Amino acid sequence: MFPRSLCTLLLSLSAALVISAQSSTPIISGGVQYLSTTSGGTTFFQPTISPVVTIPFGDHWLIESRGTFDEFISREDGATGPFHSLTLSSVDYLQLDYVANSHLTIVVGDFLTPFNIYNERIAPIWIHNLSDAPLIAGIGTRTSGSSEGGMLRGVAVSRKNWQLNYVAYFSALVTARQFNAGRSTGGRVGTFIPGKRLELGVSYQRFLQDQHLNSWGTYLVWQPSSAPLDLRAEYAHTRGGQGYWIEGAYRFSRFRGADSWLGRLQAIGRVQQFYLGTPAPDDVNPGADTQRVDFGLNYYLPHNLRLNTSYGRQFTSLGNSNIWNFQITYRFLFPLLPGGSK
Amino acid sequence: MNVRLASRLALVTLFLVSLGATAKNSAPQQQTKVSKSSPAQTATTESEEGEKRFERQCGRCHVPPEDLSPREAKAVVRQMRVRANLTAEDERLILKYLAP
Repeated sequence: MFPRSLCTLLLSLSAALVISAQSSTPIISGGVQYLSTTSGGTTFFQPTISPVVTIPFGDHWLIESRGTFDEFISREDGATGPFHSLTLSSVDYLQLDYVANSHLTIVVGDFLTPFNIYNERIAPIWIHNLSDAPLIAGIGTRTSGSSEGGMLRGVAVSRKNWQLNYVAYFSALVTARQFNAGRSTGGRVGTFIPGKRLELGVSYQRFLQDQHLNSWGTYLVWQPSSAPLDLRAEYAHTRGGQGYWIEGAYRFSRFRGADSWLGRLQAIGRVQQFYLGTPAPDDVNPGADTQRVDFGLNYYLPHNLRLNTSYGRQFTSLGNSNIWNFQITYRFLFPLLPGGSK
Repeated sequence: MNVRLASRLALVTLFLVSLGATAKNSAPQQQTKVSKSSPAQTATTESEEGEKRFERQCGRCHVPPEDLSPREAKAVVRQMRVRANLTAEDERLILKYLAP
């Protein structure tokens, strides 16, 4: 028997499909991954499918939703014993968007909490360069990474040399299993300089229940036009702790082109630190001061396949550890209706 | 001497003024050329500009998807307009690039 939330989701999507515009087609996209992780001598496997349903209708409307279905396979006693598995599923977001104009889009429903850039933009399995989330991913995204309520977003000012974008939201407390969210409000303001391919921004969240926490953060994304380099960084602060991460990814596309065997290779490095503050009981941040460094090699195969490999070393008073990751990801996109691609 | 110097200065000034006037006149000519270009040329220019916008706006997070039909591209770009805070012009030009 389907849970009530899943039935609601299916009904909403079916209704929107019926009235979907003819000029565009509803699509299902997303990624499938197989992840193998060895952390501190313990190995686990994680096949995941993460579909995104996108239903545009009319000139201004859009329904979009992402779900994640994980199988978590590990040994019963960590490094020994028989394997056992745990199945997890979640609705990451289910939102209705009204694109009023360039300056304003109104979003209602369940949406990804827009704090800094990782949660909203980089976390999907077919996008992230390194399989493990940053140490500070839990700051500003309480309680589940999703919010329930309303959000306004858009480009406040657009000039030839710079753009100012914004997001502001309010979330209610919801404790339903698939739509878990805390009562909070917050926003993000970013400046993008197209000529420099540089984006800088700040984020803020006020958590309006329990201990009424403030979280704030800042981020940077830079892609210098002189080299195929992606540089991303975040800093976040809350009462429970503060930290940062800096990630650089270099694609060897300058050597024989992006589609050559060498041009498909990407080298990644990430450095991050977390400093423990006064943690709340339900914090998901590390339990001690932590430093971590990761090195990765990704390979972009044809047909939307990608291999991610990485090695990380984590230093903490709770015990240092090595983390090895191997991930293969397939990024897919199909029309939801028959004949939709024509 | 002073008269000669003054006349040289006047000549240089006249030359600089004429250069400025030529530059001013050439700008509208260029604009006229663009506006008189064929629809195919305009589409190509817009597709190239769309590619630039894709690299700047979307390329910050991911590489372009492969093999999109025009109707699929429209759904993808609508979604990205919300997610990546694209303007209406960004949406139109990126669509020209993804589904020319």
